[in-house]
Amino acid sequence: MKVPVSLRIAALAVATTGFYTYVGQLVPQKEVHPPEEIVIAKDMKPEEMQKVGRQIMEGKGLCFTCHTIGKSSGPFRFPDLGGIGSRAGTRIPGMSDIEYIAQSMYEPSKYIVPGFNPGMPEISKPPIGLTDDEILAVIAYLQSLGGTTTVTMQTKLPWQAGGGGDAAAGATPAAPADAAPAIPAATDSAAPAAAPADGAAATPTPAPTPGSGQ
Amino acid sequence: MKNRVLLAVVAAIVGLGVTIGIAKFLMQREYHAPYRPDPSVIAETPRDQGLADQKAEQEKADKDKPYQEVEYRAFPKIGSRVAIWMVAQLHLLFAAFVLAVPLFALIIEFIGYRTKDPRYDRLAYEFTKLLSVSFSLTGTFGAFLTFMLIILYPKFTSYLVSVFSITFLPYVLLFFAEAFFLYTYYYGWGKFSPRIHLLLGLGLNLVGTAIMLIANAWLTFMTSPSGISEKGALISTWDAVHNYTWMPINIHRIIANVAFGGSVAAAYAAWKFLGAKTDEERAHYDWMGYIGNFVAICAFLPLPFAGYYLAKEIYAYSQTLGLTMMGGAFSWLFIIQAVLIGNLFLAANYYLWLGMGRIAGAEQFQKYIKYLLILVAICFAVWATPRSIISTVSEVRAMGGSSHPALGFLGVMSAKNTAVNILILTTYISFLLYRRSGKTATVKWAKTGNRAQLAIFLAAAAIVIFLGIYGYFVEAAVRIAFSIPQVLSVLVAMISVTVIDVFLFKNAKKAGEPRWGQIAPVSQYVLIFIAVTFTWLMGLMGYVRSGLRQHWHVYGVMRDTSPDAFTPTLGFATKIVSVTVLIFFLLISFVFWLAGLGGKKDWEPKPPKAAEEGAAA
Repeated sequence: MKVPVSLRIAALAVATTGFYTYVGQLVPQKEVHPPEEIVIAKDMKPEEMQKVGRQIMEGKGLCFTCHTIGKSSGPFRFPDLGGIGSRAGTRIPGMSDIEYIAQSMYEPSKYIVPGFNPGMPEISKPPIGLTDDEILAVIAYLQSLGGTTTVTMQTKLPWQAGGGGDAAAGATPAAPADAAPAIPAATDSAAPAAAPADGAAATPTPAPTPGSGQ
Repeated sequence: MKNRVLLAVVAAIVGLGVTIGIAKFLMQREYHAPYRPDPSVIAETPRDQGLADQKAEQEKADKDKPYQEVEYRAFPKIGSRVAIWMVAQLHLLFAAFVLAVPLFALIIEFIGYRTKDPRYDRLAYEFTKLLSVSFSLTGTFGAFLTFMLIILYPKFTSYLVSVFSITFLPYVLLFFAEAFFLYTYYYGWGKFSPRIHLLLGLGLNLVGTAIMLIANAWLTFMTSPSGISEKGALISTWDAVHNYTWMPINIHRIIANVAFGGSVAAAYAAWKFLGAKTDEERAHYDWMGYIGNFVAICAFLPLPFAGYYLAKEIYAYSQTLGLTMMGGAFSWLFIIQAVLIGNLFLAANYYLWLGMGRIAGAEQFQKYIKYLLILVAICFAVWATPRSIISTVSEVRAMGGSSHPALGFLGVMSAKNTAVNILILTTYISFLLYRRSGKTATVKWAKTGNRAQLAIFLAAAAIVIFLGIYGYFVEAAVRIAFSIPQVLSVLVAMISVTVIDVFLFKNAKKAGEPRWGQIAPVSQYVLIFIAVTFTWLMGLMGYVRSGLRQHWHVYGVMRDTSPDAFTPTLGFATKIVSVTVLIFFLLISFVFWLAGLGGKKDWEPKPPKAAEEGAAA
């Protein structure tokens, strides 16, 4: 029996699409849902903040799209965050670990870790859009990676909405009161990749937000 | 007998007793009418009053009901996202075809005009015949898509309209202009002087491209919005149009449309070839299929480079977006893409090798085919190798990670860039061998020319492979930049070798003309396979371009809060793509069938039997 040409062509089209559909079933199947909002209580303890911070990094923050933690050998897309808690306070002279990590998220282009390209978005703005409280939780988790969590939910940062620039007002043990008015414009390796590697990193600049006590 | 009579009497007495008993029982439960008030005393029952009150309340509520803007509406059964997805994809496939075919029809017509060869004119006309119905289908799907957007995503559509309001009227006017040029170009074939007809074709292409540029602005804005404030308010329409991904998408689409249009036109020729009754028909459609495929492959070769440019701009706009595409949720999609592109290269080469069979004197090159096939297969395998492998816990432990200790090195960008560039060079060599089949160069510098071509090929391959290997030893920033010299060396090699070849084989001695129509029928199925694969590839890449935004209608500006805001699995996406592709081919078959009707005899009523018999007598 001779199969009509049109039927053969139809069979070929169905078989081809069927094959590609089959290939599509062989790769990992993952549904990606919009990030869930995490309730942040103002009275969280450091351990709770760390836990929430980690959750945010895995979800809404999308941090692990680019960063790794504890990866020992390359290639690295962006800086590995292992040990950031111990590095952050020494990365830029005059800048505390909290300020350094915060700046990495609020103004990532202020400092680029040598060897990496700029690419980190401003985390407080869309599309990621972490809130100030969420950023504090992330800082708590990052501080715990090789260091001690000193940030609290009451810590005030110059970048926060409503002019939290008065760092002294916040219970920020790592940030001396007089550091707030003149936040240096740098960030570090922990920073998910940031600013121009042109030396501006080491140049202290005035705090960018009002209410910083300048 | 007596006993029976006695039994009957007793039964009758018992029956009578039972009947009387039942009657008495029923009489005791006689129906008594319930108490009813006098209707003249009470006009309405409480229930009537209640109903009247309810109606009045509803009327009042209806009157006072405020207007509320609906954010989303649901499409039955399959959901809004899938419905929009399929309609948009079908619209894009037809639009791509309608934009591409005039482009190469014009070029072919121009070649015919210059060479005075009527075959080209006939071929260009045959391509154009496919356009008119496709144009109607494109417009219908465009309207369908617009209404679906308004109905299912009213808030988002309203936002896009507010940003691009001034582009809509020109779009509609251009659509009118396209209809004018298209139908005048088609129906005016042979009715105007060739120059005027060519000008009509040029007008058709310019207007079609302008339409595409406007539509591209809308969709690219959704991925890389610009020209708006942080809150989404419009600041500059031109900036919104000229966003990061607009120009890369324009370039990518023009090239991809030509490749896609060429492949679908070649599929049409293959279908006609397989159903041809005469050698003349077979020769014509073999030639048409060859030209269609040639156009498709020519456009296909630079497509990966246009893809790099687009990806680069996506990264430049947002590293997060770029990494979501290449390293996040969509990274495995590019393995599927590699399988598709590998198949395309394999099929394109196979078609060329089969095509050598119709050229006398091509035997001298056929011995090289096996080497080319090995190269294509190796490159295909490298390109389709994933960086990480789906494996069990014990396998991961045995490998020391999710990457295979040896094959894992083939899953990175350096290896894939090298593979695709070598793949392009190999396909180009196949084409060059096909082009040279049956010809002998007569120029004095033939040997030198051949050596120069070989040297250029080897140099390009050496650069590509060296940079590919060196890429493993440098930082990411440097490695990414290597793709540019790799691409450039391949492009320079292809252009310079072509230029040399044109002069080398000018006035060449020919062993014979190609025997059009004398090609294995399987070659025609290869053309259809290429068309289906191209279409599927377009569907897949359309999905990644759109899905990349994930839970955003407009990335970073307008969040998708509908129930469909999640990104589906790749398995699900491939099913939708397949269904859409099959619907497209069903519809395009209808276009093919309609285009073929023109060549059929007019219907004539059958002569009445009596007249027939009379005539016979």
